[in-house]
Amino acid sequence: MYPILFLSFSGLITLFLGFFQEGKWVKPATILFLAIASISAFIDWNKPGAYFFNMLQVNNFNLLLSLVILITAILIVAISDNFKEIEYAHSAEYYAIMQFSLVGAIMMTNFQSLIMLFLGVEILSVSMYVLTGTDKRNLRGNEAAIKYFLLGAFATGILLFGIAMIYGGVGAFEIDAISGTLASNQAQSLFLYIGLVMLLIGLLFKLAAAPFHFWTPDVYEGAPTIFTLFMATIVKTAVVFALYRILHQSFQNMHLSWSYILAGCIALSLIIGNLSAVKQISFKRMLAFSSISHAGFLLLGLLHVSKTADKSLLFYSVSYLLASTSAFGVLLALKNERTENGRSNENISVFKGLATRSPFLSAVLIISMLSLAGIPLTGGFWSKFYVLTDAANDQFFYLIVLALLLTAVGVYYYFKPIITVFEKSDIQEAITINPIFKIIFVLTTLGTLVLGLFPDLLYGMI
Amino acid sequence: MLSQFGFILLFIVGAFLMLAGILGMARLLRPDKPNDQKLLSYESGENAEGGSLVSFNIRFYVIALIFVLFEVELVFLFPWSVVFGDKQLIEQTNGLWGWFSMAEMFVFIFILSLGLVYAWAQGHLDWLRPDQKVNPFKSEIPSDLYENINKKYS
Repeated sequence: MYPILFLSFSGLITLFLGFFQEGKWVKPATILFLAIASISAFIDWNKPGAYFFNMLQVNNFNLLLSLVILITAILIVAISDNFKEIEYAHSAEYYAIMQFSLVGAIMMTNFQSLIMLFLGVEILSVSMYVLTGTDKRNLRGNEAAIKYFLLGAFATGILLFGIAMIYGGVGAFEIDAISGTLASNQAQSLFLYIGLVMLLIGLLFKLAAAPFHFWTPDVYEGAPTIFTLFMATIVKTAVVFALYRILHQSFQNMHLSWSYILAGCIALSLIIGNLSAVKQISFKRMLAFSSISHAGFLLLGLLHVSKTADKSLLFYSVSYLLASTSAFGVLLALKNERTENGRSNENISVFKGLATRSPFLSAVLIISMLSLAGIPLTGGFWSKFYVLTDAANDQFFYLIVLALLLTAVGVYYYFKPIITVFEKSDIQEAITINPIFKIIFVLTTLGTLVLGLFPDLLYGMI
Repeated sequence: MLSQFGFILLFIVGAFLMLAGILGMARLLRPDKPNDQKLLSYESGENAEGGSLVSFNIRFYVIALIFVLFEVELVFLFPWSVVFGDKQLIEQTNGLWGWFSMAEMFVFIFILSLGLVYAWAQGHLDWLRPDQKVNPFKSEIPSDLYENINKKYS
């Protein structure tokens, strides 16, 4: 709860810090603010309770989620490099909006009332619409922002309508009250079913799960890389745990109804995400489709109401966060390579000859790709293992088979960048890397490996 | 048996029926003889000229945007003012309620005005004027020459 309050005000301070000394202090200040916010989360540690008239719920697991989100944000801000790729950048505004969006993300993981969920979704999405369109002179960026805004606003409308329907059916916004009503009487109002489906549509859109994924490739490609990373990691984590709270802590008695919807979405996400990623030339677009397939895997962890679902989802999120941060980070570190029309080349071919030019960067890229593909000894393997174990059940066994088959497809396209790394390139000069980048890369890569070698460190802790 | 939603539906249906009834009755009763004068804009309305898709100055845009922002603030102020003056709540809390809601609203307005200050400091409120170019040409004829001519022939 305290991170929300703190970040709301530190965002305002960041905004005005931009006026002093040409915004030199904005980035260090943002990292400091995020660090303080992470520490302030510990005030509520071991003190579960409700805040703001039972609008927000705080317990240790929710605090852990806030911490994961905040620490990821620190990693992302650290590699952000003051937005030199954007013309006429107002970096103070972007850092402020990032902090506001984190407020939304934390609200989405800690909500108790559906109103708070809606508020969180809105704060997070409106910030993301703005951040997507920050590169005002870039046509692709504009297209991405407009698409994201129009489709996202529509999805939010459906979400809100769903919440209203649920209220019509149950007469309560609190997820505890909803689960209480569902547990008590047998016959449920039709409004409740319609509302749940609409709520699911709204959230699955934000998660970029098929068949609500159409915005993903364009938006991921058009947005500045740093915000694509933000979208792929923080938004996904926040939404998946919002879904977890709704489906597992509120609508668990309607499992029979929603599990079929979810199963359909999982199958479509896995097929569309993996098969479309095969043909991509642009690295960002490939990662966009891979994020659709990862959305499918995350939903697989939600499919059955089990006691280990939260653990596996958190493990999956953390390993995905680490791997994506290194993958997008390598692209960011290479952004000065071979620019076209003033914009950096974001195709997979930009990695050509990386093995000789910078063995460090290529190692980071290879390990992140292996983790995303789910090869053993990386975090990605165990995350897939846990999620599939949770989903293993007579009812949906075909989904497991499908997931395993499509993971094999995934190996093909995740290995394309790895192969490109070892190809010979005309340019031989070594690449110099910013020391901050180096620290972040070491952290994320070590994290991926540690999760792969000792998964119980995280899985057993929760 | 009507649920709470049913009443709202009744209101909506009632509103449509009422409108249709009144306008339909007027349509049946009134004489219908239009001429050019009658079809003009009502009272002191301006006559429309040209197309409506003209380009207008972009400088209005930023100002209008900021204006709309503060107009929307009012949407929050109206319901607040009703709750703020709730006598029952004030009596129950011994006057604390008034101060609490007052402080809450001031925090809200403070954050909004910070936004205005930010826009001001960024220079978004400055009315950008096109640079006035001074013609560097200097006439070699002294200006009193013109005055003398004017005097002579006046």
